[in-house]
Amino acid sequence: MITWIYRLIVLLVSIFVVVNLVSKEKIKDQANAVIVLIPLLLRLLMIK
Amino acid sequence: MYFELIIFLVMVAVFMIGCFKFKLPVGIAMVLAAISGSLVSGNGISVRHLIEGSFGYIDTILVIATAMIFMKVVEASGALHALSSVIINRFHKRPAILLIFLMLVVMFPGMITGSSTAAVLTAGSLVAPVFLMLGIPAVNTAAIIAVGGMMGMIAPPVNVPVMIIGSGIDMPYVGFGLPLLLMSVPIAIFTVLFLGHKYAHKTSYAELKENLDFDLDKKYGLLVYLPLFVVLSLMLLTKILPQYIPNLGLPLIFLLGSLIGIFTGERFNIFKKVKEAISDALPVLGILVGVGMFIQIMTLTGVRGLIVVNSISLPMALLYIGIAITIPLFGAISSYGSASVLGVPFILALLSQDQIITAGALSLIASLGDLMPPTALAGLFAAQVVGVDNYVQVLKKTAVPAIVINVAGIIFIIFANQLAGILF
Amino acid sequence: MKRKHISAIIILIGALIVTFYSGRMFLSMYQEEPIVTGPGVSSVVKLSTYFPGLEGSYGDTDVYIMKGREPGGSTLVLGGTHPNEPAAYIASVVLIENVVVKKGTLYVIPRSNRSAFTHNDPQEGAPQRFYIETPFGERWFRFGSRATNPVHQWPDPDVYIHAASGQQLSGSETRNLNRGYPGRADGTFTEQVCYAIRNMINTEGIDLSIDLHEASPEYPVINAIVAHERAMPIAADVAITMQSNEVNIGLEPSPVNLRGLTHRELGDSTETFAVLMESANASQGRLRGRTDEALVLSGVDPMYEKAADLGRLFVPYDENGHPLEVRVARHLFGIESFIISMSSYDGNKAMIVSEIPSYQNMVSRGVGAYLLPVE
Repeated sequence: MITWIYRLIVLLVSIFVVVNLVSKEKIKDQANAVIVLIPLLLRLLMIK
Repeated sequence: MYFELIIFLVMVAVFMIGCFKFKLPVGIAMVLAAISGSLVSGNGISVRHLIEGSFGYIDTILVIATAMIFMKVVEASGALHALSSVIINRFHKRPAILLIFLMLVVMFPGMITGSSTAAVLTAGSLVAPVFLMLGIPAVNTAAIIAVGGMMGMIAPPVNVPVMIIGSGIDMPYVGFGLPLLLMSVPIAIFTVLFLGHKYAHKTSYAELKENLDFDLDKKYGLLVYLPLFVVLSLMLLTKILPQYIPNLGLPLIFLLGSLIGIFTGERFNIFKKVKEAISDALPVLGILVGVGMFIQIMTLTGVRGLIVVNSISLPMALLYIGIAITIPLFGAISSYGSASVLGVPFILALLSQDQIITAGALSLIASLGDLMPPTALAGLFAAQVVGVDNYVQVLKKTAVPAIVINVAGIIFIIFANQLAGILF
Repeated sequence: MKRKHISAIIILIGALIVTFYSGRMFLSMYQEEPIVTGPGVSSVVKLSTYFPGLEGSYGDTDVYIMKGREPGGSTLVLGGTHPNEPAAYIASVVLIENVVVKKGTLYVIPRSNRSAFTHNDPQEGAPQRFYIETPFGERWFRFGSRATNPVHQWPDPDVYIHAASGQQLSGSETRNLNRGYPGRADGTFTEQVCYAIRNMINTEGIDLSIDLHEASPEYPVINAIVAHERAMPIAADVAITMQSNEVNIGLEPSPVNLRGLTHRELGDSTETFAVLMESANASQGRLRGRTDEALVLSGVDPMYEKAADLGRLFVPYDENGHPLEVRVARHLFGIESFIISMSSYDGNKAMIVSEIPSYQNMVSRGVGAYLLPVE
């Protein structure tokens, strides 16, 4: 149960990381967002 | 010269060039440094190691992201402003007492969660407006909140660095209450008086009153404070009644508080606020990911071992200096990491000293990592909370308290046995 | 489409590729290395036999049973409590593939924390696998983590409170199998595995439980036996036997105030003689240099040599390191000595076990000589 709630939290944070990534003007800021997104995705999928 | 030293120098150089020459975000510069360390050591780009390293902070990332959301929500709902007005109205006659009280408020979330970030972003943002209204400059306010958060992290009942050191030497977390209180509270009080008292003393209530806003308090009553109340009580209750209240964890607690905050004060666009919160958090989250990769490659290539072995290779008298320098420096990467990587070998090198006092003192020194750039989590978030753009200014203001923390830590270690004799 | 949207799409596709590629490497840790059922194994059962709550979860793990013709005493060997301590795991595999029991019963759980074999600790730079040469070709084994995979138990609390005692430990210790005993049927994933192991000891009436471990060279409890007070007479006998054969080993009483560990909780909550053994493993230490498969196998490490010169270690350390075969040999010698010692201590608990590789043979011939070909 608690694990599912935390996966939802990861999903929420991931979505807003992507929202920010798409709206950033500079490529280096987009890159900064994407390195945060990768571990979030892997945890969301419960791979790592 | 050790090959590991060359790898380390390459990593540092790439980081510096990325950061200062190409003005890359700190996180990206760390990733590039990690990749170059991996390449130079003959491990290729080792994607598995890089990504694995970033998982060291996955839980911290969630705490910071959700704490940031919570902060934006209570700010937008008016809870912060309402509460600070009420506090000033009540306590303005005795500035010294007020300052000390506010400092203890800042420490509180750190005490029960063991996280300086949680303290700075919640209670820190709560009392920052009060400090500012009292006439304390923004940079000083940020410095006070940063040190308050750190001392909250060190103060009992929960001190994570001590637990980390303890799990490295199989020492249960028992008997730390009094020593940790002695190490944290006096320094916190000193800091708030040192950085704030002369300003707070001068400000008159007549000036103050213009900035106060009692409308929110009247309009929503106690309801406006509900998110703060819920967050603080959940933090506390999950600790004192673990058998009845399941472990919710900070991220969930912050989100529950945020959810309540949507309905208990001024109206605002929640989507916009969450987006803003994550946007503000992203530079730090990127740093954490980059730092995670950096440490993984340091360990993989033997750089971590080189640093640790050289740190403990000093003779006894110099060992104390080694502690005072290397633990905060390594804390630049992470204060928890420093407690684990250096705290454990140092306490093993100090087996003749009382282990409880020594572990507490090492955690005190490790807390300084939260003031060390590039991560400097406490300083960075405190700057964000009060709206100071350059957090380095905040770090400069913390210099004196930082020296006090470091010297106090070393004194506690040197006199650990005598102190233990008095305390236990 | 704006320029920033194009770059965002490219960057996101890049992220998906990295996620997919690294994800595949992480998932590869779920592939289990073969363990060959040796001539002495009479049956293999699941741990969930002793606690059905584990069935279908990743905590369920194989229990190898070697039953002798004659009834007698019984011993349980736990390998893989911490899968980043390879000698403990390999010693239990060598038992399964070689040992023959004539009297009594030997139980071996090679992957006690099966979940912990499926990942590596972040920031430890550990290799995923190591390889051992055998006369029949290469055998591979996983080098896992100290703790349960967060994928199977997440999130961690800020503070781990040991249920039976209220003892507080750092939050991540909640996934440490050797802090979760005696375990709880309705507890966390890790506590449930502990509970199943304790139930197994009670159900089968196991007389002796040996939990195999390794420690970092800078850690004081190393090359040592830790024994519950009831097991002390036997453990003292074993220490003398090993010492008189020039295998240096210490003996420590199980601390009363350190809770959740096998030698404390299994000794307190069951009738078993609970002991734990440690050997010296550089690949889990904080002082180690370059971390790779070679370090796991040889223990040769210039940083540890330097630390030894500085007097910072609790084991001797030179350019020969602490090779895997020596660490495995120590564990096997200890196990054999414990079984012999228990047999003479209490005739009702006597066991006769053969084909445990001798210390000398293991050291000179290497681990590979005692591994069977994989079908």
